[in-house]
Amino acid sequence: MVSERQLEAIKGAKVLMVGAGGIGCELLKTLALSGFQDIHIIDMDTIEVSNLNRQFLFRQSHVGQSKAKVARDAVLKFRPQMSITAHHANVKDPKFNVEFFKQFNVVLNGLDNLDARRHVNRLCLAADVPLVESGTTGFLGQVTVHVKGKTECYECQPKPAPKTYPVCTITSTPSKFVHCIVWAKDLLFAKLFGDRNQENDLNVRSSDAASSSDHAEDVFVRRKDEDIDPYGRRIYDHVFGYNIEVASSNEETWKNRNRPKPIYSADVMPENLTEQNGNVAKNCVVDTSSVSAMASLGLKNPQDTWTLLESSRIFLEALKLFFAKREKEIGNLSFDKDDQLAVEFVTAAANIRAASFGISLHSLFEAKGIAGNIVHAVATTNAIIAGLIVIEAIKVLLKDTDKYRMTYCLEHITKKMLLMPVEPYEPNKSCYVCSETPLSLEINTSRSKLRDFVEKIVKAKLGINFPLIMHGSNLLYEVGDDLDEVEVANYAANLEKVLSQLPSPVTNGTMLTVEDLQQELTCNINIKHREEFDEEKEPDGMLLSGWTQAPPAKDDKQSMNDKQSIGNGGDSSNALQTEPADAVKDGEMEEISEPSGKKRKLSEGSKASILDATDGTRNHKEVEKLDDDDDDDVVMFDDLDSMTNKKKRLQ
Amino acid sequence: MAEPKTKYDRQLRIWGEQGQAALEKASVCLLNCGPTGSETLKNLVLGGIGSITVIDGSKVEVGDLGNNFMLDESCVGESKAKSVCAFLQELNDAVKAKFIEEYPEALIEMNPPFFSQFTLVVATQLGEEKMIKLDRICREANVMLIFARSYGLTGFVRISVKEHTVVESKPDHFLDDLRLNNPWPELRKFAETFDLNVPDPVAHKHTPYVVILIKMSEEWTNSHGGSLPSTREEKREFKELLKSKMVAIDEDNYKEAIEASFKVFAPPGIKLALSKVLQSADSSFFPFSIAIGRPWIF
Repeated sequence: MVSERQLEAIKGAKVLMVGAGGIGCELLKTLALSGFQDIHIIDMDTIEVSNLNRQFLFRQSHVGQSKAKVARDAVLKFRPQMSITAHHANVKDPKFNVEFFKQFNVVLNGLDNLDARRHVNRLCLAADVPLVESGTTGFLGQVTVHVKGKTECYECQPKPAPKTYPVCTITSTPSKFVHCIVWAKDLLFAKLFGDRNQENDLNVRSSDAASSSDHAEDVFVRRKDEDIDPYGRRIYDHVFGYNIEVASSNEETWKNRNRPKPIYSADVMPENLTEQNGNVAKNCVVDTSSVSAMASLGLKNPQDTWTLLESSRIFLEALKLFFAKREKEIGNLSFDKDDQLAVEFVTAAANIRAASFGISLHSLFEAKGIAGNIVHAVATTNAIIAGLIVIEAIKVLLKDTDKYRMTYCLEHITKKMLLMPVEPYEPNKSCYVCSETPLSLEINTSRSKLRDFVEKIVKAKLGINFPLIMHGSNLLYEVGDDLDEVEVANYAANLEKVLSQLPSPVTNGTMLTVEDLQQELTCNINIKHREEFDEEKEPDGMLLSGWTQAPPAKDDKQSMNDKQSIGNGGDSSNALQTEPADAVKDGEMEEISEPSGKKRKLSEGSKASILDATDGTRNHKEVEKLDDDDDDDVVMFDDLDSMTNKKKRLQ
Repeated sequence: MAEPKTKYDRQLRIWGEQGQAALEKASVCLLNCGPTGSETLKNLVLGGIGSITVIDGSKVEVGDLGNNFMLDESCVGESKAKSVCAFLQELNDAVKAKFIEEYPEALIEMNPPFFSQFTLVVATQLGEEKMIKLDRICREANVMLIFARSYGLTGFVRISVKEHTVVESKPDHFLDDLRLNNPWPELRKFAETFDLNVPDPVAHKHTPYVVILIKMSEEWTNSHGGSLPSTREEKREFKELLKSKMVAIDEDNYKEAIEASFKVFAPPGIKLALSKVLQSADSSFFPFSIAIGRPWIF
């Protein structure tokens, strides 16, 4: 079946797999069965119960152990002669530097987040090692090939930006359930159980500042001798009653919208809680992880949608349980989708808020999916994708450039195919990652600080997490372990300075160089001074061009227009998070229109570009970017039409 | 209740509780547990299928170790069905896994009634003659059947099922029916409150397009013996008629009416194909079609 040439290449290949999850398990198995002998695996996650429906190298007894290690052990059982090296670590760790990557013939990604993918992309470019990328969501999946100089790199085409929501939508004018979830999770939960010192928009209102008084801060803190029941009701009444009344009073906000209804605990629940709320006192559960308000109240089914009354009861009960059983954690808690009590609390709070604003309530199951950015996943898609990855990997090892294919696994048969193969594009000449094209930044150099530049451009947009910023030969800022105190102080001071006031002033016409040593990425940015920025359209007060950003989602025009944004999720970058569960649930997928400057020609249904006549393999599109902190695999989304366009053949 | 389902959480978000229940009720029979069959069953078992029965008469040979990851050296000499079954059972202990050391061909020849107990039979690597026989057996017993064969990088999957009902719950193209050819009383009354030829230009261009269509289609039917535009020529004429009613070029309501005029043309009643289904005696829609008097839903 495999030719001599292929067999030789396979046997002698050293392969790096990044990710040992859904795709990873299938991939490792397929690589092993295909004759690969030397594989390294990097995965920082541990095994969870929800993995077991598809990550078949793992068993119930492995829950909590390292994925990379268990995967290795499982495969060695049927291929004892193989060399499999497992790294239980984060691929962004500096030890996985360019030198490390250089030892491999090909890198195969089975990741679940954009950040890590970009990082690996840059390292592969720096090491000049081919990369086979992939992702899956439910029944959709795709495999893409990236070879430096020959094909586009992973970042040549813009990937959808994670969905964010304007602050005022979250704090004052929610219209969708997800807004209520974000409020409940990032504001209320964070305020009550998270770091008290953290800035929190919970009491931000669109009305004038005069009404917000200092005593508002104390509202959320439980007083010394305050009983838990009155405390709970006090919080309830404050956020669902008082705050709503205040917000409701602003005429301007509600001119074209339905006013929210304040909800007070006394109206929803009669005073006598101790009878209603189950047997907390009798509950001698020591194991904090199984503490549950639902169990306490006898609400068994996570798929049921609670009523306002039930949600209110859960709200109070969950609050009570946190204080009764998990008091030590309060002040340090961050939302975790696998924390049952946290999910219950957030669902309840979101539901009550939804009731206030006339938004429909949702079940715990649904809310958890939204709050936890859960991606739906099944074994079969991963198996298909893994198979395709190996097929492409073999082509890459043999340097059969003409045969490289990007393959899209569709949900429904389109043009009689379920797998759609497409030839890769040539590298994008204006890709700042692989083509080193300089970018342009319009910014007010006498108003914006270096910190703004670092946070909003370097980290958020360019994905450079450990930057080095230079103006000519002058170091303006850097991050590193080997800096001395003076340098650290210097850089800290620089961050607070306005650009034109920096030791090496940055003004109109300046060229800044931003580097990431680990990714070996250098990016040049031409600075153009501009006085005014549109508050709505350019809330950051900066405009980066030459870097193509995917347009925002259809119904989300507002999200780009606000000064700050609140995301839904707790991943790395600033306020940027995605909203995958919602998008998928509504059957909507984000569509990305063609980025500017592409060489694609529009010839719909061009059969020649679709059928893969060369190596007889069956290949087949579409992906949606979903950023999540789950260990599920994610799919990228591209414009369906462009798949049928004529492609530029590779040389 | 949260606990048992946690394992299936990610797939529940695809097919919901109903889908999961259907999986858990199903019993699957696998014929031949080579790599194709084994991989197939792996995915079903991981998903929580009710039960599996693995049928294979062969013993594990050294050559099998190369392409079936469920087998390792210690299995050599053992029944392949037994070894694969054991591995599959480990993947999910909620699944009832059984095996029978028997050649599928023999079963097909000697014991056709055997297959009636299953919801689905997955038959891999069978020859054509046996596939045809098995197909007949399963059809009669109303058991679903899937054939699969693979050779290197090619293969096929073929489904053989008598009837499978699919309800498109989220259709891509939602055709709304405004009942323009037969407005109900309140709509008719509403339309009557409008005068298409109102002199005030603002009122004229604010007449809702639905009202325009109702009135104009009424005018048409009155002058065409009670029938609506049906030929291409007539449809074009109708559109021209609408256009002639415009008094200014910026009247969006008339433009909308012209664009939406096809809603008037659509013949009322059920489509022919749907009628056939409703009339078909075997169809599970049968009781439904009796229940509805006037199929105005469609």
